[in-house]
Amino acid sequence: MSNIENYLAPSSIEDAAAALAAGPATIVAGGTDLMLQTGSGQKTYAPTLINIQKITEMRGISKDGDTIRIGALTTITDLLTDAIIAEHLPVLATMADKFASDQIRNASSIGGNICNASPAGDSIVPMLMYKAEVVLVASTGTRKVPLNEFFTGPGKSVIQENELLIGVDIAVPPAGFKGGFGKFGPRPALEIAMASVSVGGVVKDGVISDVRVAFGAVAPTPIRSAETEVALEGKKLDEETISAAGEVASSSVNPITDVRASDWYRRHLIRVMTEEILNDVS
Amino acid sequence: MDQIVEKPETLIGKPIPKPDAPDKVVGKTTYINDMVLPRMLIAKIKRTDRVHAKILSVDISEAEKVPGIVAIATAENSPKGLIGVLKDNPPLKGDKVRCIRDEIAGVAGETEEAVDEALNLIKVEYEDLPTVFDPEEALKDDAPLIHDNKPGNLSLTFDFDHGDIKKAEKDSDIVLEEKYELHYVTHTCMGPGCVIADFDTHGKLTIYTQTQYPYNYKMDLAPALDIPAGDIRVIQPPVGGAFGSKLDVYPFEPIAVYLAKKARRPVKLFFSREEEFIASPTRQPARVYIKQGAKKDGTITFRDVNVYLNNGGYTSWGATIPAVMMRTMTGHFRIPNVEFHSKAVYTNNPFAGSFRGYGNVQATYVTATLMDKMAEELGMNPIEFRLKNAQKPGERTPQNSLLKTAALADCIKIGAEKTDFLEKHTANVAAREKPGRIRQGIGIATSIHNAGGAKIHKSDGCGTILTMDDYGRATVITGASEIGQGIDAVITQLVSEELGIPTSDVIIANNDSAIGPWDVGVHASRTTFIAGNAARNAAVKAKHQILAAAARQSNVSADQLDLRGGHVVQKDNGVSVTKLDRLLRAMHFAGDDAELVMVSEYYEPPSELEDKNHVGDISAAYSHGAYITELEVDTLTGGVKLHKMTCVQDVGKVINKLGIEGQMEGGIAQGIGYGLSEELIIEEGIVKNPNFRDYKVVTAPEMPEIECHFIEDDEETGPFGAKGISELPCIIPGASIANAVYNAIGVRFDNPPITPEKIVRALHGDKVEAAE
Ligand SMILES: Cc1cc2nc3c(=O)[nH]c(=O)nc-3n(C[C@H](O)[C@H](O)[C@H](O)COP(=O)(O)OP(=O)(O)OC[C@H]3O[C@@H](n4cnc5c(N)ncnc54)[C@H](O)[C@@H]3O)c2cc1C
Repeated sequence: MSNIENYLAPSSIEDAAAALAAGPATIVAGGTDLMLQTGSGQKTYAPTLINIQKITEMRGISKDGDTIRIGALTTITDLLTDAIIAEHLPVLATMADKFASDQIRNASSIGGNICNASPAGDSIVPMLMYKAEVVLVASTGTRKVPLNEFFTGPGKSVIQENELLIGVDIAVPPAGFKGGFGKFGPRPALEIAMASVSVGGVVKDGVISDVRVAFGAVAPTPIRSAETEVALEGKKLDEETISAAGEVASSSVNPITDVRASDWYRRHLIRVMTEEILNDVS
Repeated sequence: MDQIVEKPETLIGKPIPKPDAPDKVVGKTTYINDMVLPRMLIAKIKRTDRVHAKILSVDISEAEKVPGIVAIATAENSPKGLIGVLKDNPPLKGDKVRCIRDEIAGVAGETEEAVDEALNLIKVEYEDLPTVFDPEEALKDDAPLIHDNKPGNLSLTFDFDHGDIKKAEKDSDIVLEEKYELHYVTHTCMGPGCVIADFDTHGKLTIYTQTQYPYNYKMDLAPALDIPAGDIRVIQPPVGGAFGSKLDVYPFEPIAVYLAKKARRPVKLFFSREEEFIASPTRQPARVYIKQGAKKDGTITFRDVNVYLNNGGYTSWGATIPAVMMRTMTGHFRIPNVEFHSKAVYTNNPFAGSFRGYGNVQATYVTATLMDKMAEELGMNPIEFRLKNAQKPGERTPQNSLLKTAALADCIKIGAEKTDFLEKHTANVAAREKPGRIRQGIGIATSIHNAGGAKIHKSDGCGTILTMDDYGRATVITGASEIGQGIDAVITQLVSEELGIPTSDVIIANNDSAIGPWDVGVHASRTTFIAGNAARNAAVKAKHQILAAAARQSNVSADQLDLRGGHVVQKDNGVSVTKLDRLLRAMHFAGDDAELVMVSEYYEPPSELEDKNHVGDISAAYSHGAYITELEVDTLTGGVKLHKMTCVQDVGKVINKLGIEGQMEGGIAQGIGYGLSEELIIEEGIVKNPNFRDYKVVTAPEMPEIECHFIEDDEETGPFGAKGISELPCIIPGASIANAVYNAIGVRFDNPPITPEKIVRALHGDKVEAAE
């Protein structure tokens, strides 16, 4: 049974922050996670429901100097068609192309994907690779948190009850930066990842540096893999390095076994996809 | 001047859109799930959370106090009648629960919120009992007993023998012995379970239901209700799919009736999607032990089949699937000596029901992959070995199915030719030795299914009443239900063809048991054949009546007249004698000679019941199909990508081109799901993936190109030569895919679905394990 008492649809970040300060509230963006979770009883509504969709300043992608801001209400579809993304952060478009179905992409927001904090959240993995920072606003002020410090467990993060995620900031990657994203589920579309991988780095004369490696669905949160990064940093991307990195990648993770996949298979997929991306960027 | 009406092109074989399609596309159709009756209450079911337990107490006192709650039904305060094929299922459980689906109480209230709250307040105390989940375990002497009156946990058994398999085994040059483990899948109807029960003041019941067998439904429902079957009126609003899942009465239906009776108000009971996964029936999971022998020259010598069906807690019609399974196991290809034994065994799993294909999906997965294994063992190719053992026209199977044509051999030959099967098959095997991540595969599977009804009841008939109004419209009242399969379009077409009127002038009425004549139900691929024959025969009778009247009015004899384009015409030159509507009015308003065109037909197919040893030609016709799959396997991820399915299908005659393609494509999607991705995961009796996120139905991008070749050799007993084929499309793909996967990577999977993880484990299991 729903216990929603108030419904608010603020049109500015300021009003939303004020509403959040006023007492326990549930934020709804696209609702593609929230509706399912409340419908199944996994989550209950707070007395106030805040629809943030009218805060137009929170949707869209902009570039200010070397920083790209992706508004929290930017949809997955937006990522697929945006010129700034295509030029500077193409791995996000690759990810968007493997995300759900058209209908869900149109409704799904980046902010929702991050705040839902699913270990399998697709957009999070390439954003970890791009070293994104989330921008959190409360009536008391604004703070920035690196995305790899944001998550604390499945469905859990450091966001406070009175905070609104307004967007993520990503520094324009250095010249020569190349990256990729891989996701595996038995279906080509409408699939939750059994495992996902994003790898990126500056590739020059066949040598990779500034390496970032992120995995999804193999730990309680999406993670960066320092071990795999070390195994690659400054190395020539030859067959040997790639295979060794795949090995490190798969043994560095400790996934669970569930109805979707065994831990063994998840580790296998991590290795296959890591090697695949490295072959692509080499 | 004489009006000439040209002979129109025949409608038979043309694509006729389903009459119900436009309303469904624009969202106008009122499905049962959308229906609201005045003063209607909402109801749901309190289910158990145990798989086997004694019920110590059920306390509804708190639940009753919730504002808006009008009635609560429990075993204690409801009729005690039983449902199910063996009458082993009390709709509400009072003494014990036997599976996770079991119903403790039904609650009806003014709002869904009130009902949800009340459900949470019902308290049940249990004493857990020992459990058993494996059918062979459940047969052991010391296994927990699930029903006190079912010793050995045995539900239904089927046994058939023919020839001498022992001797044949001795005479065989090779013998293969295999074990298959076939999994749980479920129907995933778009419309979840729903029923509305409403009593009138005389105590007569109107039940709005999704059933696909409205007439026998009354007979099955009545014992649970304490009312005579004749007092039940069955109304069938549009449903969102059935696929065999509505061939039984399930507990939720009588429970809704109990609540309507208590509340004296209409009650609508419906399932959530999760409940649909947990509490609607599944396909029968089966463990199959099969042994087959052959001579060096490729002649099959014998087959010995033992099947254990995991029946779950109760027995539904699904437990009778061996009747169909057996036909394929014993009679698909020439098998001179054969035994088939099956046991449906009670366990604490959710109980299985019937599902499109009715045992033949399982039988075909086993036999069609075994045929490939044996061909390889013999050093023969899959085509040659099959052709060697395919029956000739006029042969009878050991169970006496008469195969009138050589359709099986034709299907195989055409399929092999159209796909360059042998060339590709050989090349793919050779390619396995070379390095490479992606492997190509091609595979064939064939099967047989009844195509002219199936006489499993004392009658396999269908009644039809056809009347014509004063405006030249025909109303066809048929016993056959429309559950999405397209019978409305087929009947429209057959009747238009006979009466020479446009399809838009045919009205079908078939959703009310108070009006419709008897029919055995939508199953066994029978409606086009049986209801089609009934409708066509009725139309022919109407035509005779009309032409006789026209002959009396004109100076032309009836055999010189025909119906065409809404006119009665002279057959040879198309000259209009009169307009049809004018003639109908003249017949109707003829004073003492008044007559209305109003004819009826009860069509009983020329088929026979089985005897005790399951011998009998149960169908007026049989259909064969050969489906060839081309695919690729990613040997690193285990992903399978289907390229193309070439389906050679023996259909007698295509009636509705659009309809048959729809049946093919929809069935193939289900068949692919069975082979590759769908599995209801049940651990210790609990359904682990009751949602579309983790129950993987096939979606549009996975569908391969489908190329259909219809063999049309006019079945003499079918309407315009047609056979019923609607199950084969879901029966054959799984096995065809399994054989193609083998061709690609050289690994067999006797435990579908063939998931990526299974493929990777088979290919890399050792290597990666060692690397750990
Ligand atoms: C059929 C289907 C397929 C899917 N496929 C995928 C897939 O392929 N990959 C994938 O990653 N996910 C998938 N999802 C999950 C979901 O669509 C995504 O996680 C989506 O990005 C969530 O965004 P939303 O705007 O709908 O979030 P909502 O459901 O509105 O919100 C999610 C959570 O975040 C909170 N929240 C939202 N915005 C903010 C904000 N700005 N500040 C603070 N809190 C906020 C909400 O309170 C809620 O707790 C799928 C879902 C469905 C139903």
